[in-house]
Amino acid sequence: MESASVPLPHGAGGHAAEHEHHGPPAANQSSRIDRQVLGILIFIISEVMLFGSFFASYFFLRVVVNPAAWPPHPFELPVAVAGMNTAILVSSSFTIHYALEGIRKGNKQAMKLGLALTWILGMTFLFVQINEYVHIGFSARTEAFGTIFYSLTGLHGAHVFLGLTLLTAATIRAFRGHFDKEPEKHLGVEVPGIYWHFVDIMWIIVFATVYIL
Amino acid sequence: MVAAFTRPGWYRAVLCTVLAAAFGVGLVVLLRSISGLSAFQSEQAGYPQVVVPLILAPLGFLLGIGCFDYWLRWGFGLPTIPDDHSSHGAYSWKDYFKVNTDHKVIGVQYVVTSFIFFLIGGLLAMLIRAELAQPGTQIVGASTFNSLFSTHAVLMIFVFIIPMFAGMANYVLPLMIGAPDMAFPRLNALSYWMLPLAGIMFLASFLAPGGAFDAGWTGYAPLSTSAPLGQSFFNIGVQFAGFSSIFTALNFLVTIVTMRAPGMTFWRMPLLVWANLSTSLLVVAATPFISGAQFMVLLDRILHTNFFQFGAGGDVISYQHIFWFYSHPAVYIMILPGFGIISEVISVHARKPIFGYRLMALALIGIVVLSYSVWAHHMFVAGMFSWLRVPMMLTTLLIAVPTGIKIFSWLGTLYFGKIHTKSTAMLFALAMIVTFTIGGISGVMLGMVPFDIHVSDTYFIVAHIHFVLFGGSVFTIFAGLYHWFPKMTGRMYDERLGRIHFWGTLIGTWGTFIPMHWVGMDGMPRRVADYASQFGDWNLLISCFAFLLGAVQLIFVYNMIVSWRFGPKAPDNPWGGKSIEWLVSSPPSVFNFDEIPRVVGGPYEYGIPGARHAIMPGEGAEVPATQQTVVGS
Repeated sequence: MESASVPLPHGAGGHAAEHEHHGPPAANQSSRIDRQVLGILIFIISEVMLFGSFFASYFFLRVVVNPAAWPPHPFELPVAVAGMNTAILVSSSFTIHYALEGIRKGNKQAMKLGLALTWILGMTFLFVQINEYVHIGFSARTEAFGTIFYSLTGLHGAHVFLGLTLLTAATIRAFRGHFDKEPEKHLGVEVPGIYWHFVDIMWIIVFATVYIL
Repeated sequence: MVAAFTRPGWYRAVLCTVLAAAFGVGLVVLLRSISGLSAFQSEQAGYPQVVVPLILAPLGFLLGIGCFDYWLRWGFGLPTIPDDHSSHGAYSWKDYFKVNTDHKVIGVQYVVTSFIFFLIGGLLAMLIRAELAQPGTQIVGASTFNSLFSTHAVLMIFVFIIPMFAGMANYVLPLMIGAPDMAFPRLNALSYWMLPLAGIMFLASFLAPGGAFDAGWTGYAPLSTSAPLGQSFFNIGVQFAGFSSIFTALNFLVTIVTMRAPGMTFWRMPLLVWANLSTSLLVVAATPFISGAQFMVLLDRILHTNFFQFGAGGDVISYQHIFWFYSHPAVYIMILPGFGIISEVISVHARKPIFGYRLMALALIGIVVLSYSVWAHHMFVAGMFSWLRVPMMLTTLLIAVPTGIKIFSWLGTLYFGKIHTKSTAMLFALAMIVTFTIGGISGVMLGMVPFDIHVSDTYFIVAHIHFVLFGGSVFTIFAGLYHWFPKMTGRMYDERLGRIHFWGTLIGTWGTFIPMHWVGMDGMPRRVADYASQFGDWNLLISCFAFLLGAVQLIFVYNMIVSWRFGPKAPDNPWGGKSIEWLVSSPPSVFNFDEIPRVVGGPYEYGIPGARHAIMPGEGAEVPATQQTVVGS
């Protein structure tokens, strides 16, 4: 999330002449957790609940309405393709972890490699997903099943896109040499990384519910 | 001149808004042409060429006014501009119309903006009461009436009560916990700027063909999925209001957890901080459900998906479940910060420590937990699963327990207190306890399944909701505004006008909403422009009191504006409060503190000789060493 990258106002800004003030006093750190990490975790709670509203809809449409065929009769879901895509996304969680571990040890090459790999894997996932939409044979208007299939996978796709946007920013900055070993100097990798893990785990839940269950 | 359009500001905002809207129209036309559809769709519910620009134009505005500048520079790998604090603090009235990162400026922006929406929403209420003064049609037709009450409710809920509380907490909460600002000042600014956009979008729906949204603030499917274009304004406006409150809640949570002053343990936090902590937990976890529900309605309307289309396997009732899973917690989002305000005001003006301080905080948390388990009590007559009725009734009755704990703790605080009413804030606080209790008891009545079935969709519901939302939330808002007005503006308001406002508001509220209980139990249906002539006399009386209620609000507006400009200078601590916001100047300096204060005791130690809550830098250090270094989790 964007806020993750916001550094705090700190120290004197050096523009005291412009307005008659000095900078704010440094805030007391009253918890061990970094505020940007806590921020992204709380945001993820919100995101989980957004998915929750669509999962609620899913179970209403499937269990409460209880239609004769799920999915509607002539169609079936390409479980194998989606399973392969799941493997791609899961492996990207490992590559982002590799990038973070790299920069924690001060290894900028490992960080760049990890970020670039994650980015490529994420893009591949989106590409396969869109390809699946093109060839799947039904649309979001094909009964309630089509609606909830496209909205759950599409909602997740939008989150992959958001995660990729954050990763793009992190990757650009990594290749410009911006991050470093100290914990507060690689929050720009850590925070998008936490978000990426969330996107990954959420996909496993979506995949298990929509394709397998 | 070009520079004016590249700098963040209003010129660039207008330019970006127009460009984003044009891009949206172009995108829709292009995609429809590629798909072989006619360029413009004008079915009753569709209009993608309007809806897509409606989503993009506000984003363009936010980009133009400068909410994203810092993050975009960061994201594109450019060197970020060192923070020179030039967008921090207000030095003239113009700074209130810019993106500002100072929590005090944002607080004032919030309060003023949402109060303007309160006045507009109140005006709509006056129109509603004018229409209902007599049986038959007076000034508006049935369809416009539906738009009026829908817009009234949506303005009051989404762009008045919720952001008003966010605004007041924005101002005082960082001061109370001894923080120099909120945790994410830029996110805070973004949260604020989404608010006027949401409000304007709700109001702009009056310009849409087919009139403003008229499916009620609840927007039940399938009424909303087949409603005219105005409904989409509601669906999208709610997204902006929702994002605004989620980001603000996130900001509060992180601020409260990570930025408390040394010594400010959780059990030393003022109850306003506790109240906003629990409210933020509700907002973060519940608001996504209304986003989801409105996305679904929007998709059904624009893309003709089948979430709520019965014939295609959709489930109509599922809308109500998802909607109320947010909207019941939302009523606590609209009252818990008020509980915090009342605790502050009562304790200061009764000169006594809060009775049962820890239980008060735990009751808040209890309400948060329970409020997720009561949503379906709004749906007893909706045709939902019948087995769900009794469990929902029981949890609904259960949630009255923590609420009752709060009421009794306030009474315990008042008991043998040195109560004085030199401030109008205290009058509103005392009135709130009485009025809210009545509204709370009618809420318990409504929790009973048989009684609820009897009065469903009657004026009894209207009476209940206004007793808790007007007699509860709005009274706490007034209490808070009077209480912190000297702190926010550095001026004192006119106490005599405050009293006239108070008594007018109290009499107006009771006169308007008490008779509604009776006509409701006699069966007068709500949300209808006309009614049986037997209710005529009562309704005329209700309307008269409603006009009184509306008129006295003008006194408040006059009092606030004139006092802000010409009022006598306020002392730093006019009410003798102990929490940290009263220990700094009125108004506080740009960065709140020169040095972070140290907290050495509870926030409500009134009447205890020598008790201190906080020690400001530069003060004497005669504090026992054991008290100095207690740091919470």
